[in-house]
Amino acid sequence: MGLLSKKDAKLIMDPLLDDNPITIQVLGICSALAITAELEASIVMAVSVMFVLGVGNVVISLMRNVIPSKIRIIVQLVVVATLVIIVDLVLKAFAYELSKTLSVFVGLIITNCIIMGRFEAFALANKPWRSFLDGIGNSFGYGLILIIVGFFRELLGSGTLLGIKVLGDPIELTGVYAYGYENNGFMLLSPMALIIVGLIIWVQRSKNKTLIEDE
Amino acid sequence: MEHLELFFKSIFIDNMVFATFLGMCSYLAVSKKVTTAVGLGAAVIFVLAVTVPLNWLLDHYILQPDALVWLDGNSETPKLSAYYGYDLSFLSFILFIATIATMVQLVEIIVEKFSPSLYNSLGIFLPLIAVNCAILGGSLFMQSREIETLGLALNYGVSSGIGWFLAIVAIAAIREKIRYSNVPAPLRGLGITFIITGLMAIGFMSFGGMLTTDGNKEEAAVEVTETKTEVLQEGKTESTQIVEVSKITKE
Amino acid sequence: MAINKDKNSYTIIFAIIMVVVVGSLLAFAAEGLKSNINENKRIEKQQNILYALGINENDESSAVFVSKDVVAESFAKNVTKQVVIQGANATEDPEAYLIDVKKEKSLAKDDSYQRRLPLFISETSTGTYYVAPIRGKGLWDAIWGYVALDKDMVIKGVYFDHKGETPGLGANIKQRFFMDDFSGEHLNDEAGNFTGVAVAKGNNDPKNERKTDNRVDAIAGSTITGNGVTAMIKDELKLYIPYFKTLKNN
Repeated sequence: MGLLSKKDAKLIMDPLLDDNPITIQVLGICSALAITAELEASIVMAVSVMFVLGVGNVVISLMRNVIPSKIRIIVQLVVVATLVIIVDLVLKAFAYELSKTLSVFVGLIITNCIIMGRFEAFALANKPWRSFLDGIGNSFGYGLILIIVGFFRELLGSGTLLGIKVLGDPIELTGVYAYGYENNGFMLLSPMALIIVGLIIWVQRSKNKTLIEDE
Repeated sequence: MEHLELFFKSIFIDNMVFATFLGMCSYLAVSKKVTTAVGLGAAVIFVLAVTVPLNWLLDHYILQPDALVWLDGNSETPKLSAYYGYDLSFLSFILFIATIATMVQLVEIIVEKFSPSLYNSLGIFLPLIAVNCAILGGSLFMQSREIETLGLALNYGVSSGIGWFLAIVAIAAIREKIRYSNVPAPLRGLGITFIITGLMAIGFMSFGGMLTTDGNKEEAAVEVTETKTEVLQEGKTESTQIVEVSKITKE
Repeated sequence: MAINKDKNSYTIIFAIIMVVVVGSLLAFAAEGLKSNINENKRIEKQQNILYALGINENDESSAVFVSKDVVAESFAKNVTKQVVIQGANATEDPEAYLIDVKKEKSLAKDDSYQRRLPLFISETSTGTYYVAPIRGKGLWDAIWGYVALDKDMVIKGVYFDHKGETPGLGANIKQRFFMDDFSGEHLNDEAGNFTGVAVAKGNNDPKNERKTDNRVDAIAGSTITGNGVTAMIKDELKLYIPYFKTLKNN
């Protein structure tokens, strides 16, 4: 990476695995459970969070020297909420179709603790460019888990991927359904998302033993 | 009766953690010990009990379409008011969040001043609560479920707080005990907590059958009686037109 | 920096500036974009009503509305009459589709208020259909829709939408595989009593071949949204029964 120094590259790469926001930092779990029943929704959510976290981190970083510490939480929440609401209003006015798809995610983004968490932990103490990279890196790591969970839940739960019937038609009994395969409707329920994330943690920590918690 | 139903519904059926998966982050992060879990849970109950009614007032007197008519005393005849036609609902997110963050910091200051011992046990959790999505979720549910009176809003805040409290205390107790079990090393800590929470949520789903509305009861009764006729019809539907089947059953 | 950031006066001044900036920014955005947003919402309502009537540009599997350019024309052609039902009276009103169903519903909680019920009538060569708006609650937030009926209260088509149901689960009520199942379903049972259409699990009728059973197949994993749809159809459409009775008598 010629464009990025080694330190900057680390900001992007670390959150992908060893400092993943979901599996290590325990941030942004609620949304990871709510919207991963479908791969498409997972991808949309990942992209939206990337936008909000990238821009929000820069804004907070620019303001970091003037925010009074007593009310910093309110200021952070207000900044992210304003950002999201304005984007939502603009989309509603000029790209109504797109806004219909995204409006469901608005509330989830504002309440997503990954955003507050990164503001507090990084953007308040770092320069805008580095904060931007941190935002992008963390949303990549977040998106990665979302997409893995979404992939398994959609494939095993409804037999489709991005809405395309990859396993055949369960009603017409084609594809694997002809051999008696059945969709596991349980995968569509939120508890299964928790269990899949638990399994991802298991895989990840068996690969990288330094992450194992000792209790 | 209305109060009692809402109370049990918010604790068990619509449990914040197990049914809607809100407030998961602090739930997973601060549940290693029962004592800290009790502290955080109590703080959540308290903050929900304050912010939900407060946001209810905001929603009813400021945010909803035409809510401002009370300003010039025309609440009985809204159309005469100078404030008729205003719709500030686009501000609801930001006002709710501001109320929550303000309340959390106010509570922190007051508790610190008047009860240092309570502050010491609660103090560190209060800032955590502002970012707990269960709190904002409580206010947003209050708005979208159109809770009708201030009393019900208070009830809703308290009872969903109790539901969250129960959930975090339960998982903390399990985590304290599981330390003596032989969990595979990579799963230790966070991994097994995720999986246990998943299993607990599946358990809590069984509460879904409680307190069903009358409509659902009727439906269940119909289902039982109908299964027989369905079996009889099954063979015919495939070969004959649907219309004919309905005729046959009519006769 | 020279300013002491921990001083109360600084905090208060900062808070005031913040409130003014954010408030005016949001108010400016909301006010400035209002006309565009309202226009979009108006077009969407027309598109939804047309969709329920079966006028759309659906492709293989996804639901597509008639395009924005022709919607006004198509709406004028296909929705020949709009009436507002209030109590026993039905008056014609060419702007009935602009009635805010949510507002009417909340006003109607007061027993003395007679709720205004809009109904859109389509009299074309293919037949006469009546479209009614419905509104209810899903798992997270409001759900709503439009149901096109013939005079015997048999469903011609529906359109459902939602504010914030779970993507991939409850949000699928606006997918074709769910909405299409409603076409042809009877709202009355065989004795002619109004029962609505229930979104039922374990229906054993995945291809939805039985149209008179008052049931359609539920979406896996979204029981509460499904119950919301059932309740919404039953509670809202029953308000229209008197009107449909008078239709029959004429």
